[in-house]
Amino acid sequence: MTDPTIIRSLDDPDIWVETPATIYDAVPPYPPRTEREAEFYDLRDGEMLLNLGPQHPSTHGVLRVVLKIDGEKVVDLDPVLGYLHRGVEKICENGDWHHAISNCDPLEYVASMFSEAMPVMVAEKLLDLPVPRRAEYIRVLCWELNRISSHALYMGWQALDLGGLTPILYSFIERDEIVEMLAAITGQRLLFNYLRIGGVNGDLNHDFLSRLGDWMSRAGAQLEASTRLLNENEIFVRRMSGLGVVDRETALRTCLSGPVLRATGVPYDVRRAHPYSVYPELDFDIPTRTEGDSYARYLLHIDEVRESIRIIDQALHEMPDGPIMAKIPRLIRIPPARAWVAIESPRGQYGCYGMSDGSDQPFRLRIHDPSFFNLQAMTDMLPGNLIADSMAIMASLDPIMGGIDK
Amino acid sequence: MSVLSRPWNRLTVGGKILLPLLALVVLLTVLLMVGWLTGLIPALIGLGATVITDNIDILRFVAAVTAILLFTVPTAFVIIFMEMKFIAFINLRVGPNRTGPWGTLSSVFHGFKVLAKEDFTPTGADTPVFTLAPVVTYLAAVLGLLVIPFAPGLVGLDMNIGLLYFFAVSGLSVVGLMMGGWSSYNKYSLIGGLRAAAQAISYELPLLLAPVGVVMLAGTLSLNQIVINQAGWFWDWYVFQQPLAFLVFFIAATAEGNRTPFDLTEADSEIVAGFATEYSGMRFGFFFFAEYVNVFILSALTVILFLGGWNAPIDPAPILQFLNVTINPALDPGSLGMGLLFVLGLGVPLLILLLALPVWMLKSDWSFPKSLVVAFILFNVIGAGLAGVWLFLSFEVVVGLVWFTIKTFTLAFVFVWMRGTLPRVRIDQLMGWAWKWLVEIALLNIFLTAGAILLLQELAR
Repeated sequence: MTDPTIIRSLDDPDIWVETPATIYDAVPPYPPRTEREAEFYDLRDGEMLLNLGPQHPSTHGVLRVVLKIDGEKVVDLDPVLGYLHRGVEKICENGDWHHAISNCDPLEYVASMFSEAMPVMVAEKLLDLPVPRRAEYIRVLCWELNRISSHALYMGWQALDLGGLTPILYSFIERDEIVEMLAAITGQRLLFNYLRIGGVNGDLNHDFLSRLGDWMSRAGAQLEASTRLLNENEIFVRRMSGLGVVDRETALRTCLSGPVLRATGVPYDVRRAHPYSVYPELDFDIPTRTEGDSYARYLLHIDEVRESIRIIDQALHEMPDGPIMAKIPRLIRIPPARAWVAIESPRGQYGCYGMSDGSDQPFRLRIHDPSFFNLQAMTDMLPGNLIADSMAIMASLDPIMGGIDK
Repeated sequence: MSVLSRPWNRLTVGGKILLPLLALVVLLTVLLMVGWLTGLIPALIGLGATVITDNIDILRFVAAVTAILLFTVPTAFVIIFMEMKFIAFINLRVGPNRTGPWGTLSSVFHGFKVLAKEDFTPTGADTPVFTLAPVVTYLAAVLGLLVIPFAPGLVGLDMNIGLLYFFAVSGLSVVGLMMGGWSSYNKYSLIGGLRAAAQAISYELPLLLAPVGVVMLAGTLSLNQIVINQAGWFWDWYVFQQPLAFLVFFIAATAEGNRTPFDLTEADSEIVAGFATEYSGMRFGFFFFAEYVNVFILSALTVILFLGGWNAPIDPAPILQFLNVTINPALDPGSLGMGLLFVLGLGVPLLILLLALPVWMLKSDWSFPKSLVVAFILFNVIGAGLAGVWLFLSFEVVVGLVWFTIKTFTLAFVFVWMRGTLPRVRIDQLMGWAWKWLVEIALLNIFLTAGAILLLQELAR
């Protein structure tokens, strides 16, 4: 443990003359606050603290993890969150319900169709507002497209964190096509701001449909082509299988959801467990695997992409005509009430607990982000593994720091 | 002369380089004139000639080392460009395409870039060791090139213990990596350096044991002699007599060169950049260069030991004998006498004119001078091509160099290909792979080879 007196304030002019080398250590610049912290930052013989992030190439944004390592082996870890905290929930309380949509957009920034749906669906539930069927189908179409683009990005990331340079570029071809497609109807490539309370902001256009039809004609083959490089690769399989195993009971106890949970054999998918939108009318399966390791999670993502392609196909064929917006006033005043909605985002159950006090602003929007709960599993998975594997496990949990730090 | 009218500390970097050079040129000119007029220089030349003839071996060695040192730079540039372009091709990207035709100059500009960058030493670093580390790594890579036979007679130093020397010197590169890792005062660097040490020690063993079979067959450690022993058709190459050794050697060479899938020392997704995390500017450039020179020399060594070195895959002599053809294009320019002058004086302009006429006729909107320029370029291209053919047919050095380059860069391409395709292995898998498989296979190969040699001797008796 470092002598805390050696850490000086940044106001001290001497610090710029001769910086004590210990300032670069991962030790917090204060006495330990909890027992756990005291235990963690107390090094035994042969142990070393390794500061991973927030500017590390493979911590997916600004996650900081202090690893306690013994040689190459991870003994313990201390995740430090909050580097991307913007106070989104509080900001949402200061604008009206419409502003909350664009504020919630950057929460899950690689799949923002899901996070922006949260205030929309809470408001609809609080108002008990029926959404036109065409709008629901458009929403499902956009959600599934965005799920594929997010999963494609995950598959590339996973390979990149294992040192494979190529798959991420193949993934980005897929992702770019979808993102361009969504940009044709939403006008944005990343943060769409497309859903509206009571519908969506604009109908499908020819540009979108021609791009979608073009892509759908070769989506399956393209998926096979870009995953063939890795799926059977001996190095990849040997590194991924048996890595970061989480069992069924632990997964349920620690509130995991999404592919991480389904890889343990629990067929929990909000689309089927608590149906919303028009999902009950669509025919699709919930793929599960029983191994619960990183490789199962990786393969599960591919299976889910196949199911999403099926859903898109059906949504396109069964798309009804009609309005895309419900008749609602410009300024929405929601009577005092509380509501909980949840949808299945690419990372799991994306929930929102909304409260209204009768004004035009949300009284409270509590976002339940699945990445945050999935990331908790890292604390159990990492100790005992090697440094290299900690990256692979972190990647296989697929955290998005925008939603975790909110 | 704006350079001369400014004080020294106001000069730009270019001026600071240019001005001493200018002064040197002026000084040398004056000295040369004075020396020549006083008769000092002719006397010195006479003295120098005897000194050179007396110490020709030392001079040859110095010249070879200098040539090898200079040779590394374009080699590294070519392999870096190859890597950028081929990985871009694998990734479905375009790759470098701005500087020079097809981006061929981009690696040269990378070189200038690292030269111009800030040379940074982190606080707490062990400065002398930190400064020395890239030099050690680079020199270890360069010195290994000294014994590589590029073509018949084209070898820096034909040692009778060439292979041993090569392994002894190239094994030093890990010392540089460890020095860099230790002295950077960075935990990622430290882990990278320790990984480099562990990896190098593990993979030196199969790398050394695999060629033992080849050495037993060749009966020599001289790389030159090993290549000569593989002369003939391609089935005389040792890869067909030592397939196990070839596989083990190639895998161990990949690990020894810190290339994907064994690039754990600089695994960017795990330990940022490993030992090179804190390096910048030309110090990083040396590490970078050393890596690519290593790729070249490991490919070259694989080619020499297993793929016949400079030997062509086919032996043209029996075919030519069968066809009853003799090729003897060796042309002595001296025998032409005045004819050569005639050809150079009249033939060249006439040929350019002859080439320009069809160009001018086909491109009706071009002026005749423009066609002349194009014809001149065409003439040069054709001339260079003919000269290349003449060189190839006349000198076996050129033939050997061409085959050696083709084989070596094909193997270097395999290294690049693996980097574009494979993910990285884990450190325990890496170690297990070396100690549980490669060493055993290499040892087995030695016993198999020894048994086969004894058996053949018994049968021959």
